[in-house]
Amino acid sequence: MNWRDQTVFVTGATGFIGGRVCERMMQAGVPKIRALVHGMHRAARIARLPVELCPGDLQEPESLKNALGDAKVVIHCGLGPASTIVRGTENMLAVALDAGVQRFIHVSTAAVYGITPPPGSENEDAPVRRTGDPYCDNKAAAEKIVLDYGKRGLPVVILRPSIVWGPYSAWNTRLMEDLRAGHVAFVAGGKGACNTTYVDNLVDAMVLGLENEGALGQTFFITDGERISWGDFIGAHAALLNPAPAVAEVSQAEIDASRGDRSGLLMGSVKATARLARSKEFRQMLTQIPVTDVAMKKAWNWVGSLPPQKRDKLRARFGVRCPKPAAANVKFIPDEVTVATQNATVFFSIDKARKVLGYEPRIRFLEGMRLVEQWLRFAAYL
Amino acid sequence: MTRPIRLAILGCGAITRNEHVPSVIAHPGVELVALVDAEPSRAQTIIQNRGLTSKAIADFREVFGRVDAVINALPNHIHASSNQECLRAGLHILCEKPLAITSTDAKACADLAEEKGLVLAVGMNRRFTASHPLLKLVMNEGLLGTIQSSDFQYGGAFDWRSATGFYFDRAKAGGGVLVDFGVHMLDSVLDSFGPITAFDYQDDDWGSGVEANLLLDVKHSGRYGDVPGHLRISRTFALRNSLLVQGSVATAEISAENTEVVVIHRKIAGAAVSQTLQFENFPGTTSYGRQLDDFISSIVTHSKPEVDGRQAIQTLELVESCYAHKRRIPEPWAELTPARSGAGA
Repeated sequence: MNWRDQTVFVTGATGFIGGRVCERMMQAGVPKIRALVHGMHRAARIARLPVELCPGDLQEPESLKNALGDAKVVIHCGLGPASTIVRGTENMLAVALDAGVQRFIHVSTAAVYGITPPPGSENEDAPVRRTGDPYCDNKAAAEKIVLDYGKRGLPVVILRPSIVWGPYSAWNTRLMEDLRAGHVAFVAGGKGACNTTYVDNLVDAMVLGLENEGALGQTFFITDGERISWGDFIGAHAALLNPAPAVAEVSQAEIDASRGDRSGLLMGSVKATARLARSKEFRQMLTQIPVTDVAMKKAWNWVGSLPPQKRDKLRARFGVRCPKPAAANVKFIPDEVTVATQNATVFFSIDKARKVLGYEPRIRFLEGMRLVEQWLRFAAYL
Repeated sequence: MTRPIRLAILGCGAITRNEHVPSVIAHPGVELVALVDAEPSRAQTIIQNRGLTSKAIADFREVFGRVDAVINALPNHIHASSNQECLRAGLHILCEKPLAITSTDAKACADLAEEKGLVLAVGMNRRFTASHPLLKLVMNEGLLGTIQSSDFQYGGAFDWRSATGFYFDRAKAGGGVLVDFGVHMLDSVLDSFGPITAFDYQDDDWGSGVEANLLLDVKHSGRYGDVPGHLRISRTFALRNSLLVQGSVATAEISAENTEVVVIHRKIAGAAVSQTLQFENFPGTTSYGRQLDDFISSIVTHSKPEVDGRQAIQTLELVESCYAHKRRIPEPWAELTPARSGAGA
């Protein structure tokens, strides 16, 4: 099968990775790209391309059949809320198997080893463990199902990128926003393993997965192959701002001390409820109820119309992405997920991808930052 | 007392649900007879949610003879044909922008309305924000000095929950962000600074898609002489979201956050100061409400609406010229050099 002659079906096409996949498929000259679109209002980026926007929902197999059409190549970047990852992936696999799909690229994540991967997880054969994090655990469970379908005859390839960055990535845009707001700190002296995966390197790996028979049924870490630390990554973004903000280091003792006030059954429950209400997953569930969808939209519009200072104050009060206001005399302490992410010590090996796929990262870190800077300027972040 | 204008709204998507229905309900001179949508459940949902006695109808032709006027909020590609059918049936029309997806079709609508002596108003609600006439007043009275340039930026992540998703289909929408939101901005600057006599247009359509970003440099030649202007619109990125008008002594700003005021920025003895201007008495509460009131008044008094078909033609001709002479916005981050390995996609 030459994938360049095939209709390519992309799930998660309205997202950052899927959007870039559509662009690259078009640049590669595939005859037709079918994009699964759950929320049509999110399709502005890919609607610029000659892509067929196919309405559908990973939770609704019938819609996937219609959306897949005659495609024989599936690139599965789709996600949805954490609790629906497994079912959505299984639905897509079942429809693909029935339709005789000839290649199924599953975009997994290195986070199947948790947000702070344990030592020994450098290579793909390290056993996957449950971590308690819904995203990590569900992505790990989805991998198992993908491999099961591989054994049933669906030609599958699993890719495990890590910190996928590049134009449109929230890793870049949120970091810029947080740097401006003073909501960034170095954890572990900024020495933690960042494991960057430039989005085009990931797409290169997808293409190699489509072309390489030896990849079938295999799992590959995909990173940029450089030992980029969080200090490097954050520092490179801070340097884009003028003046470059000073990023403070926070010690584990300071982090522990800031968490100390969370003890107590009542306060713990209140804060846990607030965290639930703020979670993306919960908000997505609320949007399915028409009246709350309308109310939330009005509320967000109202918040969006506030002057930046008031907006930040309100967000800080409700803990939305800025747990502590960055007053001049108050040290910013990152949230638990950020701390865990920056505490990573494992650099994933791409030896297997190099050997089996012939993968070699095309975009090195400095080149990636150059491209990201160009894009950030165009996108009015700089 | 004259009887209310009997009205039907064609198309029950987001704009009808969020703006037109509330405006119509609040207007004392209008009776909402029917809501029309090819998917009648959409009309029925609005009727139930609002507790209306209006009828839910699937085919707009069924309102002929039962109403005096319609608000046409159907998808763009059927504006022209439905407008002409309604005009032939003797109905006044307030048509959502764009009036049609080609200037030729828009002209056919405008000609027919004039021939029939009917009101054909075009939904440019931003004309009915208080800041629009206030800015014109500020410029006319010389508060800015000589008008030197304008810079209009509007952008944010697209979040319009269209019922049909036609926005992303070039054949149905007529284009992308230029024909969608851009016509509002073009209408504003044309009305404020006069005709555009030169332009340079770029967008990010990769070919047979619809653009999400555009950059437009223009030269107006109007009552303020030659005034250069820059417009930037985005469906993907948050922008400054304001119109800045640079004058020789001060700069005026209309912000999307508050379209009822004009802020004047200037320097006094080297110190930057700003002053917020607003009308003490400006009728109505929303731009859609004022737009509806203008439409109804035009019907009752047999006068021209604020934005008529002729003005819409001028805007659409400019849109067509932009598309005909467009250049692609450079996206160097998206154009990769060939891969070192075999992954040359």
